[in-house]
Amino acid sequence: MTLPRRDYRAVIVGGGVVGLYTAHHLARAGAGPVLVVDRGYLSSGASGRNGGGVRQQWETRATVRLAREAVEAYRRFGRDFGFNIWFRQSGYLFLAETPAELGRLRAVHDLVRSEGLPSEILDPDGVAAHLDGIAPNATIGGTYLGSDGTLFPFPAIWGLYEAVRSAGVDVALGVEAVGVDVANGRVAGVRTSDGPVAAPVVVNAAGGWSGDFSRRAGLEVPNVATRHEILATEPLKPFLDPMVVRVSDGLYFSQTMRGELVGGLTLPHPPGTSAGMPSSPRFLGAMASALVRLLPRLASVGVLRAWSGFYDDTPDGLPVLGEDPRLPGFVHANGFGGHGFMLAPATSRRVARVVLGEPTDLDPAEFSPARFLGPTPRVAAERLQLG
Amino acid sequence: MVRAPRRRFTYSGRTHEAADGATLLAALAGDGVSPLGRSTRYHRPRAPFCGIGQCAGCLVRVNGRPGVRSCRHVVADGDRVESEAGWPSARFDVFAVLDALFPGGIDTLHGFRRPAFAVPLYQRVVRRLAGYGRPPDPGSETAIAALPLRVDADVAIVGGGRSGRAAAARLAALGVRPTLLDRDRSGPDLPGVDRRSGVSVTYLPPPAADGERPYTLLGFSEPACGVLVRARRVVVAVGGYDTSLLFDGNDRPGVQSADGALALAAALGHAPFRHGVVVGGGTRARAVLEALGPSVGAVVAPGEIRPEVVRLASDLGIPLYPRSLVLGTRGRARVRALALRARGTGVGFSIDGDAVVLAHRRLPNAQLFFQAGAKMAWGGGPGAYYPVVDASGATSVPGLFAVGEAAGVAEPFAAESGERAADAIAGTAAGPLEPLESVTRPGPAELEGYYRELLAERPRGRWIACACEDVRLDELLDGSSAGYRGIEVLKRYSSLGTGLCQGRYCVPDALLVLSLLEGRPPSEVGYLTQRPPVHPTPLAALAALSGALSEDARP
Repeated sequence: MTLPRRDYRAVIVGGGVVGLYTAHHLARAGAGPVLVVDRGYLSSGASGRNGGGVRQQWETRATVRLAREAVEAYRRFGRDFGFNIWFRQSGYLFLAETPAELGRLRAVHDLVRSEGLPSEILDPDGVAAHLDGIAPNATIGGTYLGSDGTLFPFPAIWGLYEAVRSAGVDVALGVEAVGVDVANGRVAGVRTSDGPVAAPVVVNAAGGWSGDFSRRAGLEVPNVATRHEILATEPLKPFLDPMVVRVSDGLYFSQTMRGELVGGLTLPHPPGTSAGMPSSPRFLGAMASALVRLLPRLASVGVLRAWSGFYDDTPDGLPVLGEDPRLPGFVHANGFGGHGFMLAPATSRRVARVVLGEPTDLDPAEFSPARFLGPTPRVAAERLQLG
Repeated sequence: MVRAPRRRFTYSGRTHEAADGATLLAALAGDGVSPLGRSTRYHRPRAPFCGIGQCAGCLVRVNGRPGVRSCRHVVADGDRVESEAGWPSARFDVFAVLDALFPGGIDTLHGFRRPAFAVPLYQRVVRRLAGYGRPPDPGSETAIAALPLRVDADVAIVGGGRSGRAAAARLAALGVRPTLLDRDRSGPDLPGVDRRSGVSVTYLPPPAADGERPYTLLGFSEPACGVLVRARRVVVAVGGYDTSLLFDGNDRPGVQSADGALALAAALGHAPFRHGVVVGGGTRARAVLEALGPSVGAVVAPGEIRPEVVRLASDLGIPLYPRSLVLGTRGRARVRALALRARGTGVGFSIDGDAVVLAHRRLPNAQLFFQAGAKMAWGGGPGAYYPVVDASGATSVPGLFAVGEAAGVAEPFAAESGERAADAIAGTAAGPLEPLESVTRPGPAELEGYYRELLAERPRGRWIACACEDVRLDELLDGSSAGYRGIEVLKRYSSLGTGLCQGRYCVPDALLVLSLLEGRPPSEVGYLTQRPPVHPTPLAALAALSGALSEDARP
């Protein structure tokens, strides 16, 4: 496509949930012309490849708060954007297999409770009440928060896409951002596969490709793209309400509105995006094995399809939000570690303020890109990452 | 006279008998019973369509396990078979009212958002309507536990049709003992061939970079036995299938593919209808007429009807309707008539029939080639992607061969294409070969002009674009006019292609329709990434292989 204009107030690289939400908040704030570019088609990245989970149980207070705000935004999504994302608040059930894991969940529970969210500690019977058919001795207990839930990611993308377009944002699909033009030590524009664009601000919301894009701008960043796999089974009548997650191996799965079980588990893959997004035989075996061990009666249920996508990982498991001190005008909205959908409504509101030069309540020690640059000790790390 | 052994089973509480080795679908059809299902959204009646284990038209619950395809399940003594569709029953399903209540379709993208307090209730109700069946009964897993099958092969041949068998026989004759993985359970064994029957290969990832046997073939045999084959070279001979056509009520019971009609007729010994309307005017229509001619009431073709079909039909006294738009079916629980219009002239008419047999478009089973990363090319005439092959069937992936119908080889040359691949593998190919005659022709798809005329009719209503997920053509048209482009995006927008058939029966038509709506060739509308597996593969089958698969070095 040919871009409708050549100068913008801001260019957002990445048309996933993070980029589109940021564009939405910029448009609402009357920021002026905004361009979103995405190298793929709509929902081709992690925003169209995730398991749809939205949880507020985290190890860091700031993340709990952002997630709680995101839950509120998703509750309102249908009214705000006209699309039904089927956000179903039927809980997240965390499973522990060892006392150490249970201890860790207890700490999460205490933090989450202190934020006013009614998390519960469950014994094995309490777990079984939420997870019908769980194998004996599969867990020693867990935690549960009923206001966590799942949503259907695609309509969220459609709703945001249509909202930002009707607000005047240009969304260029199939256009790749190949570099950044710098003048007087700050961002002057973005070079795209469709030619150069002038803009004083560029937002890197490229998900799994954000590390690549930062590096194209000459910025060394610790972001690493890691491929994670996921599968869906044949649809069944509803038998499972919460998203089930397991600390030990990152297993997660839920039953969608359509009845499919959708989930994955952690499996190491070589870092980087160059291998593309295939599905490995290894994953199919490991995931099937984990599911039938936990829920033996599912043995005959067929795997319908498997796919994969990229997590954009950071060393401390927290996203990178804010302007890069090395290159004024280069704003990060990345490093979500596979949890962009869960936090985007809350983080994007703040990133939009950063773009407009307004203050935010984000603690730089936790979220600023500067935290990886100096010898400053980092204050927190979020290790409760799954999948 | 010795009576053939019979298997006794129950279906919805009634006792039936089946011949040894008979499928559930054939056994029930023999007793005049057709497993009736209900679609997932509108609870429209659905019946067996494809007959070859690909669609979602004949699902039943067997011994506490949901989602069993009755055309694939071989009856065992004591089987307890239930229909799970509909409430209280598939025939009298109270939710069928949904189809009448929502003539414009149920809009799950925008609807059910208000009032806020009702949203949880909407969610509970909508969730209950979805799903093919209740989850498996506790304990049902013990009956299907099986040790996995692991085979190391020099050459693995996938598919036991004419081209696959020819490749196997030639390799055996040349002193190579191939492993033939045949989804079919019947059929004779071949000397010198390690034939594994009843094996569905569902995932063929690209070969590993090195190793003695770089290929991994993952699959299962029913009900849930995992199959893992490591091979040095692979010949894919998985054939083709008869696909669907878009018209109003194209999902009505009685509408079936030519595959389905021929498979069921072979099992029953007679046609599964009395006055079927055959749609198509080419070699496949001819095959249906040859097998089932006396039960065919009319031949309707979207385009021209070939002379040999005309001759055959006139010998049988069957009326012909070439160049006809199929507008829709009439009937309640089953097709009674087909509404047509002569193309171009605008004259509408209707013909009676108790079945519609779709024999107008035969497509290759190309999924495994996509999975393996083979170079594919759009074959205009039939309107499908085919692997790019040389005269011996070698694809762009070293060691991977495509033969027979799956490779687009014209029917009379299926066996020869298998033999050529065998010769190339054994290193006995004699000099340079001329390419075999192919069905892939350049140019626009034959149905393109047909769909152009149909779209001009502004088709709205029960034109089912994806039967598995109950997606209507309306949703594609609306998504397209809202600015969503490309098959990958419209798949996510509408859920088309995300069901049990893996897009086999919906994507080919959707590609042609989107190509017209978007004003670009189908090859630019894209293709759906062929996500594994090719057929739903039981968790137990994959779990039993997890140890072996954990050693797989593939990224």
